[in-house]
Amino acid sequence: MTMEAQPQVARGNYAAPDSGVFGLALRTGVLSLITLGIYRFWAKTRLRRYFWANTRLGPDGFEYTGTGLEKFLGFLVAVVVLAVYLAVVQLVLFQFGLYFVFQPRTQAEILMQLAVIYASLFALAPLLFFAQYRSRRYKLARTRFRGIRFGMEKAAGGYVLRGIGLLIATILTAGLLWPLMTYKLEAWMTNRSWYGDTRFAQGGKWTAMYGPYKHVLIGLAVLIGGGGIAAFSGAGSLVPLIIVVGYLWLLVGYFSYYVQGFAYLTRNKQLGGDITFQANPKTSTVLGRVILGYLFIAIVAGVVFAIVAAVFGGLVRAMILEGGEASLSALTAVGIVAAIGYLGFLTLLGAMIMAFITEPIIRHIVGTTALVNVPALDAIRQRVTDKGADAEGFADALDWGGAI
Amino acid sequence: MASRPDFPAKGAYFDGETAKSHTVSVTGQGEYLSITPLDPPGKPFFWRLDRIRAQAGARKDTRGPLVLTLRADTDDEQPRDPARLVLQPGPVADWVRASAPALGARDLRPGTWGRVIWRTTAALGAVAAIVFVILPRLSDTLAERLPIEREVAFGQLVVANMEQYLGGADGTLACNDPAGLAALARLEQRLTTGQNLRYDLHLQVFDHPMINAFAAPGGQLVILRGLLDGAGSPAEVAGVLAHEIGHVEARDPTRLAFRAVGSAGILSLLLGDATGGALIAVMGDQVLSASYTREAEAAADAFAYRLLNDTGIGTAGLADFFESLDGKGIDLPEYLSTHPDTAGRAVSARAADGAAHDAVLSDDDWAALQGICG
Repeated sequence: MTMEAQPQVARGNYAAPDSGVFGLALRTGVLSLITLGIYRFWAKTRLRRYFWANTRLGPDGFEYTGTGLEKFLGFLVAVVVLAVYLAVVQLVLFQFGLYFVFQPRTQAEILMQLAVIYASLFALAPLLFFAQYRSRRYKLARTRFRGIRFGMEKAAGGYVLRGIGLLIATILTAGLLWPLMTYKLEAWMTNRSWYGDTRFAQGGKWTAMYGPYKHVLIGLAVLIGGGGIAAFSGAGSLVPLIIVVGYLWLLVGYFSYYVQGFAYLTRNKQLGGDITFQANPKTSTVLGRVILGYLFIAIVAGVVFAIVAAVFGGLVRAMILEGGEASLSALTAVGIVAAIGYLGFLTLLGAMIMAFITEPIIRHIVGTTALVNVPALDAIRQRVTDKGADAEGFADALDWGGAI
Repeated sequence: MASRPDFPAKGAYFDGETAKSHTVSVTGQGEYLSITPLDPPGKPFFWRLDRIRAQAGARKDTRGPLVLTLRADTDDEQPRDPARLVLQPGPVADWVRASAPALGARDLRPGTWGRVIWRTTAALGAVAAIVFVILPRLSDTLAERLPIEREVAFGQLVVANMEQYLGGADGTLACNDPAGLAALARLEQRLTTGQNLRYDLHLQVFDHPMINAFAAPGGQLVILRGLLDGAGSPAEVAGVLAHEIGHVEARDPTRLAFRAVGSAGILSLLLGDATGGALIAVMGDQVLSASYTREAEAAADAFAYRLLNDTGIGTAGLADFFESLDGKGIDLPEYLSTHPDTAGRAVSARAADGAAHDAVLSDDDWAALQGICG
C-alpha cells in the first residue's frame, strides 16, 4: 500500500491575505450601484466563491458553486409573491399607523404606536423565518468539499412554525428563553443537513446555552435590578452610571453569546455519528476586531466624508448664488448628485466593513475550528443535486443575511 | 505557452462519488492532461484541455492551489463534472493555466437567455399590475375610510416634511408678514365663503423661488413665493388655488400618499434598498410633482371653474395664468407639467364662462400678499 496515514484532525485555516477581499468587495459594490442593484446577485456570488475557496479544512478547500443568474431568476419569482404581500401589508399597517404613529398624545396612544411597530415587524416574521431556512438550504446545496455536495431537507414550513412559536415565547419571557430559540432552531436545521449521504446531528442541551448567555442576563439584571434599587434607595444620581454599565455589559454579553453560542453548537454537532468538531473562538478576539475595525472605518469614512462635503457644499452654494434663483432643474441635479454620492459612500463603507470586520472574524472563526476523525470522510458518498428552489430570492428580497 | 512540464506532479483527485482523497500523478500529454491514480495504482485517464474549467473564486495568481473540473452535461447548477482535481503550485499547474483555453468559461445552457427574458417580463408585468391596478384601488378605498381629523394630522406632517425637503428647518420657510397674512386670510375667505367645503383650509406661503403650489392631505394648501412673484393678478393665484382646493375636496393628495407608500415598499424591494432611502425619495417627489390621474385633473379643473364662477372671481384669471405659462416649459406648477397642453386648458378655462363680477383682492391687499415673505 502506498496510502499515507491520514492525520486524525483537520484544522481549519483561512488562506486569503489580510483584508484581501477589499478590492473584490469594492468592485462588485460599485458594479451593483451602477446597475441599479441588478449586479448584486453576481456580487454576492463572487464574494461567496472567494470566502469559500479560501476556507480550508486540513489541505482541502471548500467550493461555492452557486451562480448569480440562478439568484436573479429566483429573485424574480420572490418579487412577485412579496410584492403582493408587502404592498397589502404595508398599506394596511400604514392605515393603522395614521391613527397612532403620528403625534401620539396620550400614554395609550404611545402604547398603540409601539404595538403597531411590533405588528409591522411581526407581519414579516413568517417570511423572515422562511427566508432564513431557504437561504441556509441554498447555501448548503451550493457548497462542496472534496467534490461532495452538502444538502438540506425541505422543511422550511416546520421551521417557520417553530420559529414563530419560539419567538413569541422569547418575547413573552423578556428574552429569558432566547437560548431555547437559538438551540431549537439550529437543531432543526442541523438535523436536516447532510454532507453527501451522511447526516449531521445536533447534540448537547438547550440549557447549556445559558453558559454563553449568562452575560446577557447579567447585563439585564444590572439594568433592571441595579436601576430599581438605586432609584428606590434614593441614590438616583447613580442611575446614569448603572445604565451605561448595564448597556455595555449587555452589548459585550450579546457578542459573547453570539460567539460562544456558535462554538457550543458546533462542538456538539456530529456528522454520521463518528465525525465531530472542535470550535474554540475567543469572544475577546471577535469583539476586538469589531471595535478596531469600526474605529478604523470611522476615521477613514470621516476623512472621506469631510472632503466630499467641503467640495460638494461649495459647488451647491456656487450654483444657487450664481443662478440668482435656484431653478427646479438645478435643485434636482444637486439632489441626484447628492443621492449618488451618498450611495457611493455606503458602497465604500460596505466594502470596508467586509474587509476589516467580516473577513477578520471569518479568519478567526475558521482558524479555531477543526474536524476530528478525518479518515471517516472516505466512506461518505455523493448525494444528488438540489435545484435550490428560489436560490435565496426571498432572502434577498427581504434583505436577510447581508452581503454573504 | 509555458513549455510542457518534464516530470509529473502529484495532485489530489476527488472522483465526485466519495469524499475520499486520491493521490494521483498528473502531467501534460498533447491536448490532454494525463491523470494516473497512485493509491491504489491504476490506469491513467485523460482530461481534454479545452474541456477543463477552474474553480471560480480561488486566487488568480500562481500561489494558491489550482482546482480543476470538466465541462459535462449534468443536472448541476452549472454543466460540470462532479470530479475535482487539485494541483499545488508548480510547473504542471502553470502549464495548465497557460494551455487550457477555457479555464474561466461560464458555459450557459442553451435556452438560458430565453428563460431570463421570459421571467423578467413576467415579474415586471406582475409588479406593474400591482402598482398600477391593485394599489390604486386599494389606496382609494383606504383613503376614503380615513377619518378627517387623522387626515389633517397626516397632512401637517407632510407639509413639515415638504418644508425640510425644500431646504428649511421646521417652521422657517413659512412667510409671516402680518399684512400679507391678513391678505391671505381674505383671499381664503373670498374663495371659501358659502361653499360648504368638506375641509377647513389651512393656507400658507413658503419662501421659495419655485413657481408652484401644492395640496397636502386634509386641506393643507401651500403656495411657494415664486407663484406670487410670477402671477400677474390675484385672480391668477385664486384660479390656481381653486384647482388645488378641487384636489383637496376629492381627497387626491391622501390617495396619492397611500399609493406612494405602497409603491415605495415595492421599489425598495426591487432595488434591494436597505436604507429606506427610496421611501423618502418617493414621498418627497410624489408630493412635489404630484401626478394625479387625468380624470382627477379634469375633475379638479371642473371644480375650479365652478368655484370661481360661484364666488364671482371668474375663470379669466386662471386662463391668464395658463397662457402666461404656456411655452415657458420650465418650473410649471405640478398640474401643468403633467398636462403640457396648457394652451388648451386656457381656452377651456375661458370658455367656462369668465366674466369677473368682483375684484378678488384690493390693490393694497394684493401688494401685501406679494410682500408676505418680507
